[in-house]
Amino acid sequence: MNLFTSSMLLTLLILIVPVMASNFNIYTKNSYPNYVKTMVSYAFMTSLIPTIIFIQSGQDMVISNWHWMTIQTMKLTLSFKLDYFSMIFMPVALFVTWSIMEFSLWYMHSDPNINRFFKYLLMFLITMMILVTANNLFQLFIGWEGVGIMSFMLIGWWFGRADANTAALQAILYNRIGDVGLLMAMAWFLFNLNTWELQQIFLLNPTNTNLPLAGLLLAATGKSAQFGLHPWLPSAMEGPTPVSALLHSSTMVVAGIFLLIRFYPLTENNKTIQTTMLCLGAVTTLFTAICALTQNDIKKIVAFSTSSQLGLMMVTVGINQPHLAFLHICTHAFFKAMLFMCSGSIIHSLSDEQDIRKMGGLYKTLPFTTTALIAGSLALTGTPFLTGFYSKDLIIESINTSYTNAWALMLTLIATSLTAVYSTRIIYFALMGQPRFPTFILINENNPLLINPIKRLLVGSIFAGFLISNNITPMTIPQMTMPTHLKMTAIAVTLLGFIVALELNLATQNLKFKSPSNSTKFSTLLGYFPTTMHRLQPFLNLLASQKVASMVLDLTWLENILPKSISTFQMNTSMMISTQKGQIKLYFLSFLITLALTLLALKFV
Amino acid sequence: MNPFALIIIMLTVVLGTLIVMTSSHWLMVWIGFEMNMLAIIPILMKKYNPRSMEACTKYFLTQATASMLLMLAITINLVHSGQWSTMKPLDPTASIVMTLAMAMKLGLAPFHFWVPEVAQGIQLSSGLILLTWQKLAPMSILYQISPTINSTLILTLSILSVAVGGWGGLNQTQLRKIMAYSSIAHMGWMTAAMMFSPMMALLNLVIYIILTTTTLMMFMMNSTTTTLSLSHTWNKTPLLTTAILATLLSLGGLPPLSGFLPKWMIIQELTKNDNIILPTFMVITALLNLFFYMRLTYSTSLTTFPSTNNMKLKWQLNPTKTTIYLPPLIILSTLILPLSPMLILLE
Repeated sequence: MNLFTSSMLLTLLILIVPVMASNFNIYTKNSYPNYVKTMVSYAFMTSLIPTIIFIQSGQDMVISNWHWMTIQTMKLTLSFKLDYFSMIFMPVALFVTWSIMEFSLWYMHSDPNINRFFKYLLMFLITMMILVTANNLFQLFIGWEGVGIMSFMLIGWWFGRADANTAALQAILYNRIGDVGLLMAMAWFLFNLNTWELQQIFLLNPTNTNLPLAGLLLAATGKSAQFGLHPWLPSAMEGPTPVSALLHSSTMVVAGIFLLIRFYPLTENNKTIQTTMLCLGAVTTLFTAICALTQNDIKKIVAFSTSSQLGLMMVTVGINQPHLAFLHICTHAFFKAMLFMCSGSIIHSLSDEQDIRKMGGLYKTLPFTTTALIAGSLALTGTPFLTGFYSKDLIIESINTSYTNAWALMLTLIATSLTAVYSTRIIYFALMGQPRFPTFILINENNPLLINPIKRLLVGSIFAGFLISNNITPMTIPQMTMPTHLKMTAIAVTLLGFIVALELNLATQNLKFKSPSNSTKFSTLLGYFPTTMHRLQPFLNLLASQKVASMVLDLTWLENILPKSISTFQMNTSMMISTQKGQIKLYFLSFLITLALTLLALKFV
Repeated sequence: MNPFALIIIMLTVVLGTLIVMTSSHWLMVWIGFEMNMLAIIPILMKKYNPRSMEACTKYFLTQATASMLLMLAITINLVHSGQWSTMKPLDPTASIVMTLAMAMKLGLAPFHFWVPEVAQGIQLSSGLILLTWQKLAPMSILYQISPTINSTLILTLSILSVAVGGWGGLNQTQLRKIMAYSSIAHMGWMTAAMMFSPMMALLNLVIYIILTTTTLMMFMMNSTTTTLSLSHTWNKTPLLTTAILATLLSLGGLPPLSGFLPKWMIIQELTKNDNIILPTFMVITALLNLFFYMRLTYSTSLTTFPSTNNMKLKWQLNPTKTTIYLPPLIILSTLILPLSPMLILLE
């Protein structure tokens, strides 16, 4: 018992020390980045202790430390919820972060601000830990905003580049839209349940949860780049590769899904929200997979792949399988981070070339990176008994055998095959064939700072699925029996994708590129989404507001309605009354009519 | 005109009005009206030009028609009640017809078309008599039949008159036409008051006569008939500019001048009888009246109206026109308001 809480708090404390050290200038030696990396590895090892204790004994723990304030009847404390989700996620996140930090020692070694870079990465990790272990929505919101801010600072790391700045702003804006949903959920919980503590929310089990769950869904859409609020994720590739590996593949973007998973006791009672999540996730996964097919930047392809997997996680939550989604989060972290690190290795080796059309033939010159890339892609597509299989295949089986929306299922299956397609594309263009880059570059991947992290994550990509899924406590009953054709669906579509992609690439290798068809344009322009939403929407808004302000308010209300209308009315009336023809005949006619009408009206009506 | 003829004609005019005001037999009333009308025709024709002829003809036709309607009303009353006395209440039909006849004589809307044209076609002095003295007789008849007047009818006439008087005057630069529309509007106020308190109508009539007399006399002093020539007053008789300012604003009903007194009393009487919309409307249209009076004062007293420079260099000669009682009239038309507590004597 005591070991559980103390080692948990020790983990968190170990992470905070380097930040404090850099703030108060305590650490005076030169190797601050190395120090940070070592501290993260110590934190990882320390966090294994509570995880193993949890797996062995199966008991949750809530640490409520410090009573912050009480607002009328609501008590806000600093409280950590150490349950199934946070206990398993923490070591995974720390492991991946450790590897990425070692990788960025190699990748960013020529950067003069490397100390600050590591401090930002560490601050991001701390806020992510706060988010994951939060027991009340307020603390979760602190972590939520914290990861958003650190994402902004890290995407705009090379702030001299205009594209990086706009990408950082875009990330903040889209996240902010999602934050509105989270705030709405918090407000609803405050008004209706008088609490922000997760225990009390689940205990009270409210019945009309459409509004807060919609708010949480909006928050997840923003943070996890679901369709509608997704453009920021590909744009976030403007940041350095370690940032992409850590934030935008493994940890930050899963925060939205994590939030939905945390609230599974509420979502399992609300069919509407489940359907919404299912459809949204299905659309996301297919749409981003289509967009990934024609990208030429290796990091963007991996980014869209991340987005597609996030859609898959949303689909899983939508069929009421939060634990499977969580398992996918954990396994996905391994191979996605490794894919990004391999991309970083390739980019750095080709002296910052990111276009796959200018790579090629790297499997002879970068053998280790090639191995890792292929193993990671196979894990991503769900090759049997690699890491991805244990989560992805289970998800596909669950979708196939659950009583759900067939259209969403179809989209998910198509997206699964497209996963294989774009993975093949990366492998084909980057690794196979003849080199298409200039020959003056010396390619050397012998640095242990590069090899060791990739090696660790490679081992993780191959074995972590097996290890994790065999050691966690089963929270749901997996589907045991199903017809053979349903069980083979995932493998079948993946193989189909691989074969089609390889054939197409080989067949069209030496053909001339014709002008793009409509489907190609759809994919290249990312579904026209950024074009319309980033340009058309603000333009229409500003045009409407200009019209309202100048035409409606200024010209019409202030000028025309009272002043001009009164003056024209008076002028017209006076002209009408005072212009007389002067013919006495007409006057007498009017007198006659008046007389007749008056007598009629007053005597006989 | 031959002075003897003028005196006889004037006396006939006065006699006609007095007969109307004092007789108790309806036939005598009609006779009085006819005498009045026939006698005033030569006065309107002081100058022998087609314009005056036309004005006289129009006046004659309308007044004759009105007298015929009056005769019709008297006959209807005779048939229904069998007597000619003015003291007895009128039969309702006769009352309607008689009200319409009086409205024609006064120039209330919708019988107002002749007033601006007749006023424009005649001399200023004739216009003075037309607009002031000629109103006495019909108003006295309305006063006498006021208990039996159909309220819908008279209020309709009144609303239309104040509206026509307000909007019609906006488009004018000829002073006689402005005074004509002003008379239409004031007649509208009087008939509205007649409904609830005839005494206030008489008060309005008296003050209106004083104001109109003052104004027209001031116009006569400089022989001005247009706004343009009125705007040269500062050059001809500078003292008059102030007087014109005060009198015109009083005519518009601006406190604390005397023109405000009848309006105030009438609004009070109307609101005492739970009538809110009618006085609101009448006051709003009185604003239109005030606007064109202010336009006159603006061009006369407050600014130097644009004109050719030759017009600005008049010789200051001794005045030859005689203006009777102009100073007391000016005082009366501006400073009566503090005497309003004396109205308690009317209760």
